[in-house]
Amino acid sequence: MLIIVSCLLFFVTALALMVLLITQPNARYAWLVAVGGGTLALVSVFIWLAQMPFDLALPAWKPLTLFLNPISFRADGLSWPFAVSISALTLTILLTVVSQPAFTNSYTWAGTLALGGLGILAVTANNPLTLLLIWSALDITELITQLRSVNGAANNEKVVTSFSTRAFGSFLLLWANIVSIAAGSTFNFQSIASGSGLYLVIAAGLRLGVLPLHLPYSSESTVRRGFGTALRLISAASSLVLLSHVPAGSLSSALTPFLTSLGIIAAIYGGWMWLRAPDELTGRPYWIISLAALSIISALSGNPLGVVAWGCALVLVGGALFLSSVQNIWLNRALLVGVWSLSSLPFSLTASAWLGNLGFFIPFVIVAQALLIAGFVRHALRPGGRDSLDTQESWTRSVYPAGIILLVALQLVLGWIGWDGALQVGAWLQAIIASLLTFGLVWATPRFRILNPIRAHWVSSTISRMDNAYQGLWAIYRLLARISTAIITTLEGESGIMWTLLFIILFVSLITQGVR
Amino acid sequence: MSAPILWILVPFATGVLILLFLREERAPVTGGVVAAILSLTALIIPIDIAQLLGPVSFKISSTIQFFGRSFALHTADGPLLAIIYGLAALWFFGTQASGTKNRFVSIGLMIVALLTASIAVEPFLFAALLLEMAAMLVIPLLVLPYQKPGRGVVRFLIYQTLAMPFILFSGWMLAGVEASPGDLGTTTQAGTMLGLGFAFLLGVFPLYNWIPMLMEEASPYVTGFLLWALPTFTVIFALGFLDRYTWLRTSPQLSNAIIFAGVFMVASGGIFASLQRHLGRIMGYAAIAETGLLILAMSLKSTEVVNVTFLLLVPRGLELAVWALALSIIKRKAYSLRFSEVQGLARSYPIAVAALIFAHLSVAGFPLLAGFPARIALWQELAGQSLTISFWAFAGLFGLLIAAIRTLAVFVMAEENKPWELNESWVQGVMLGLGVIGLFILGTFPQILQLFIANLPTLFDHLGQ
Repeated sequence: MLIIVSCLLFFVTALALMVLLITQPNARYAWLVAVGGGTLALVSVFIWLAQMPFDLALPAWKPLTLFLNPISFRADGLSWPFAVSISALTLTILLTVVSQPAFTNSYTWAGTLALGGLGILAVTANNPLTLLLIWSALDITELITQLRSVNGAANNEKVVTSFSTRAFGSFLLLWANIVSIAAGSTFNFQSIASGSGLYLVIAAGLRLGVLPLHLPYSSESTVRRGFGTALRLISAASSLVLLSHVPAGSLSSALTPFLTSLGIIAAIYGGWMWLRAPDELTGRPYWIISLAALSIISALSGNPLGVVAWGCALVLVGGALFLSSVQNIWLNRALLVGVWSLSSLPFSLTASAWLGNLGFFIPFVIVAQALLIAGFVRHALRPGGRDSLDTQESWTRSVYPAGIILLVALQLVLGWIGWDGALQVGAWLQAIIASLLTFGLVWATPRFRILNPIRAHWVSSTISRMDNAYQGLWAIYRLLARISTAIITTLEGESGIMWTLLFIILFVSLITQGVR
Repeated sequence: MSAPILWILVPFATGVLILLFLREERAPVTGGVVAAILSLTALIIPIDIAQLLGPVSFKISSTIQFFGRSFALHTADGPLLAIIYGLAALWFFGTQASGTKNRFVSIGLMIVALLTASIAVEPFLFAALLLEMAAMLVIPLLVLPYQKPGRGVVRFLIYQTLAMPFILFSGWMLAGVEASPGDLGTTTQAGTMLGLGFAFLLGVFPLYNWIPMLMEEASPYVTGFLLWALPTFTVIFALGFLDRYTWLRTSPQLSNAIIFAGVFMVASGGIFASLQRHLGRIMGYAAIAETGLLILAMSLKSTEVVNVTFLLLVPRGLELAVWALALSIIKRKAYSLRFSEVQGLARSYPIAVAALIFAHLSVAGFPLLAGFPARIALWQELAGQSLTISFWAFAGLFGLLIAAIRTLAVFVMAEENKPWELNESWVQGVMLGLGVIGLFILGTFPQILQLFIANLPTLFDHLGQ
């Protein structure tokens, strides 16, 4: 019941904002309504801790003989950290809009709150059917929002490509369902068939842009900082939650090392591009790819807690950085708490990140983690030249930092309480090596040209080179198109009926050949 | 009053009256209202059970005799009639928005009446004749007066006509099979005849090539109606055969033939759809894949055959109606419906494009949309039987998803700074909007269909019991 309370707080507030937008477009208390709803939702998620674990099941689809798993949600030690992160992110987005020159009620506020509600539903989904439905709702929301905000044929095409990769990921989850049923299991997270585990990892990897490596998000959108951040991070968290449900036993396949290698490549590539990105918003897709890849590596090493740790870091650490739009030296320093959160040192947010069996891959993982943290330090300590809060009203100067501090504080809190990965010592030696390497990279960044930020237009050329690698797939597609055209032309041509009858005779002969 | 008069004669006569006396503009509302009333009546008033309306007692009797043949609609047929006339009403109400003329509503009502007669007639083999008559009535809708019929129309007529003798001939042979069930030769011949008859009727691979041809050369709305109506009643007719003859259900050869036919249709329909560059042809191949899913549902070795089949049938009607309506609206702007002509149209016709994409995604089994629950139910049964068959069926749906994404990409690739504008009329907007809302409702709460389909398994004595 508490899950529905939290989600309703988001959805009802979003609805109230829409009504206000239509009836009183200039109402000054709309922001208070939005922040009030967001705050209550965050508090309600903390109240979950008193009752966890608990379930929420909606009325089952009928007939029950065909729909074995009802739509259901579960709050437990894996879903709660995601839920609290998403709630905090949503509230922070609403708190930080005060820094904008003219902040009035708009559809993006309602959209942010609705996304928060959907995000909580996604991370608490208790079976793949529920997750599929919420994924689709998120995908359709993102598709419509992006198509409304981008301009030009190429950018529109990118939005559709991004939608398509996520839809393919959803279909792969569906295929994992079919494989599980064929193996005699019902498809819920508690009884996943051993053959389905890898499909789940690939499905999440596809949605996140890691397996195979691609950029699922268009960076040309006009809704970049507030709503854009919610869209990116909540969508990524909703995909990551699937990985936290993959049992270690279902990953014992010959393909696992291969997928881990792909994950490592994506993590290092993402970390490298993140380190050299000209600014944090341009580098955001690489931040998501890198952290998602680290999550996938955790899942493949049999450590669902690591998935949750990296997922929360993606939302909380990334959210704090991407929402910081003004220059404030104290806030920039506060952001550096994120370094602790990403370090996987004992009692940090990501302390449980490397509890699985990584074996031969440990050095590569350390490199990827160090690149990511070094990039974060560089973006957090960005140079001046941005707007400051000094010219704004006094209450704005208090509210804005409170939003950022909320995310920063939550990073520390999650290292200690509330979920199965809290209070962990973890792989401390690995964490120390990663931290030392990070210091080295931070020291070297201003001194070596190769580590310096790349210019924005280089980013696109890199993507183009990556796109070229996928041109091969289009060649196969065009070949198939030519073959199908030949078949269709034959069957629809003048002699089509004779060819058709010939096929029928062959078909009947094949079917009846066993009868004497 | 008897049920066959109410649900066969009344709509047929209404169709004739509309054709002869009513102006084209008033036909959609009249036809739609009549179909909706028939649907509600079927849902509310049970057949063959006495009802008390104040002091008046009345009963809709189930049977009438006509030229020595009987037409019977029983209590269990009520929900089925409600579905059929409900969906027909949807098509008729959409006529005005689609801009379809040429007596669509009047002839459409006659077609639905004839097809309803096909499920009511006894001996049931006469259904083949009624299906053929319905197919012939479609021709005036497909070919405009003084226009030379296209190759798709001719081929459609040839295949539908070839189906009839095969089914009638198999009926004659089936009597022999019932007399001596051990005679394998006669059984095989009868099964082959029957299979060929249904292969022609349902447009099994490769007999479906008239469908994309027709989608290219005729009105999308009329062809969509045809692709909804004929397979729906043919499937019910086929279920009747399977229910009546035990050897048909137990024959491994026939069972294999049904499975292969179904999976060939889904896989080839989906894959061909993903490689097309014409919106009409894509819809044609998607309809083929959907029919393949229906055939796969009929092949299930499970007590859930009827449930799964009807779970597929109801959303199919809504999906095709929304898709055909959206396509008709787009065709008025871009006549050829080729990708090159519809590029960037999402900004000029956003509602039609969104409706088309959602209907397409629904057919592909995208979650949240009407087609999804039925496909989940099908996988639940099919995966237990064969993972290979499931894979090829899944590949077909994946092909449909690729086709949907390609179509979407073409629609949204508008030139720089092209503004968003609404060019649909309010009627079109409302019809499409309601259709899309329906797709989402059926996809999220499929249990509401239970009102209609919960008792449908009782239509069949052996299937699904």
